[in-house]
Amino acid sequence: MLVLKNKATNLVLKSEKKSLLRFLTLYVTMITIVIALSSLFYYETQEKLMLAEQRAILTKYAYIQTKRLKVLHHYFDERRTYPRDPRFTSAIYDIDLRKIFSLLEEVNIRFDEEIYIGTNHIHFVKSLDEYFLGAKYLILEIKNDGIWREEIWKSIIGYGLLAFLIFIVFGLYLAKLFLKPMRDSIILLDRFIKDTTHELNTPLSAILANIEMMDTDVMVEKNRKKLTRINIAAKTVSTLYKDLTYLTLEQEKENEDEDIALKPMIENRVEYFDILAKSKNITFILSLEHATIFMDRRKLSRIIDNIISNAIKYNKRGGKIEITLNENLLKIKDSGIGISEEKIPFMFDRYMRFNQSEGGFGIGLSIVKKIIDEYNMQIEVESKEGEGTTVVLRW
Amino acid sequence: MVKKTVLFFMLTLSLMSQDIYERKCVPCHKELPTSLDQMFMSYLSLYSGEKNVKAVLKYYLQYPSKSMTVMSDLFIDSYGIKNESNLSKKELNEAIDIYWEKFKVFDKLK
Ligand code: HEC
Repeated sequence: MLVLKNKATNLVLKSEKKSLLRFLTLYVTMITIVIALSSLFYYETQEKLMLAEQRAILTKYAYIQTKRLKVLHHYFDERRTYPRDPRFTSAIYDIDLRKIFSLLEEVNIRFDEEIYIGTNHIHFVKSLDEYFLGAKYLILEIKNDGIWREEIWKSIIGYGLLAFLIFIVFGLYLAKLFLKPMRDSIILLDRFIKDTTHELNTPLSAILANIEMMDTDVMVEKNRKKLTRINIAAKTVSTLYKDLTYLTLEQEKENEDEDIALKPMIENRVEYFDILAKSKNITFILSLEHATIFMDRRKLSRIIDNIISNAIKYNKRGGKIEITLNENLLKIKDSGIGISEEKIPFMFDRYMRFNQSEGGFGIGLSIVKKIIDEYNMQIEVESKEGEGTTVVLRW
Repeated sequence: MVKKTVLFFMLTLSLMSQDIYERKCVPCHKELPTSLDQMFMSYLSLYSGEKNVKAVLKYYLQYPSKSMTVMSDLFIDSYGIKNESNLSKKELNEAIDIYWEKFKVFDKLK
């Protein structure tokens, strides 16, 4: 019991993986947005703070420069040298935004803002009350050293990363919490189906094995016919059983891909279905070359079994099944009833059965299609009503 | 006779060569203690741009008044408000343009 439990828990179900991935993507996107937004907010606040500091200094400078302009204004007939200061550069513009004089390095000025950051400099625009030298605007420029920006970036990256990590850990914990009930119920169901199907498997295998072991040579003709019928019935149930277990259990499992030699595998399956074929007087015509495929053995077996059993099921009495195998191609051609062209696209749909006279759930081909899609193989179906169907697999 | 004609001719020529500003504004202002230069700077400090300065000055020269003058009360008390200009609008514009070009700050700072 303990062993089973461990096995079940270790098994990461595909559906579980999917919902976990979905949740995490959503979660990560969300926290990225949250962190980005708060970083933006932090950045803007810090920038404002820096500008407020600079404004205080620049206001003082502007006051000093205005005084110098005033002096120059009154002695303009004698002096013509614009006042300079090592701490800043400046410019004066008149009311029509015409340049009177400028020492600025960055010439683009936004007159509608009091203080702003240009490309490499900070500009402070001061409106004068008295227009000395005709100057309505005094613009001060200082270099923007970018140190403050670096500081902000450092803390944004540092704290952002920390927050991100904490959120991720929290998210993983949450995901686990959410998934637990789902995982529990899946494990429960899983175990239930496994147990019941196992119960089914044992008697079925026993029947098949015993039929195989019986010596038909010593039997009376009448009994031999009956045994054949039992054998056919048991094999039909067995195929159905395998499809069912595949749907409920095995398709969730991780693939165990390996190189598989196709020729012996097909020969084996043909031999297995031979008794079914014989009951309808159907002959197999094999033309098999050596070929290998890299995939999960169970899944390959589902494909071949389903196609062959369909070819038998929908064949005429005394018909033929031609199986051609070469590198990258498997062709299974029957001489059966065929299906009309417009129905071909729907034949892989689950629970789709075109012929009510034959039994089955209509799940076989839907399984085939699923596996084929998973392995990126191609399937072509050609059919003519009354003449037969050809299924070609390429990989 | 010839000498006199030549002298007269030269005199008119020199007068003609002076522009309207030199002929109409400067002579009268020579008497005043505040130079036209200083008056210009007062205008600048109050009205800043070229358009403003020219417009206000033109208006003032046409309709001088105590409420609009840039001069100090002390100055007005001793010299009074000037008389309305008798120049035509065109002449006024021309004189003001020359006045602006002569004293404007642009391109003068180093
Ligand atoms: C008849 C003499 C006279 C003439 C001609 C004259 N001015 Fe004046 N101007 C004065 C006096 C007197 C004042 C000072 C009183 C005043 O401001 O009204 C003055 C004042 C001014 C002012 C200062 C204005 C103010 O707001 O107080 C300006 C500028 C000026 N003149 C420009 C000119 C120009 C330009 C011309 C030529 C178009 C001119 N003046 C022609 C006598 C004259």
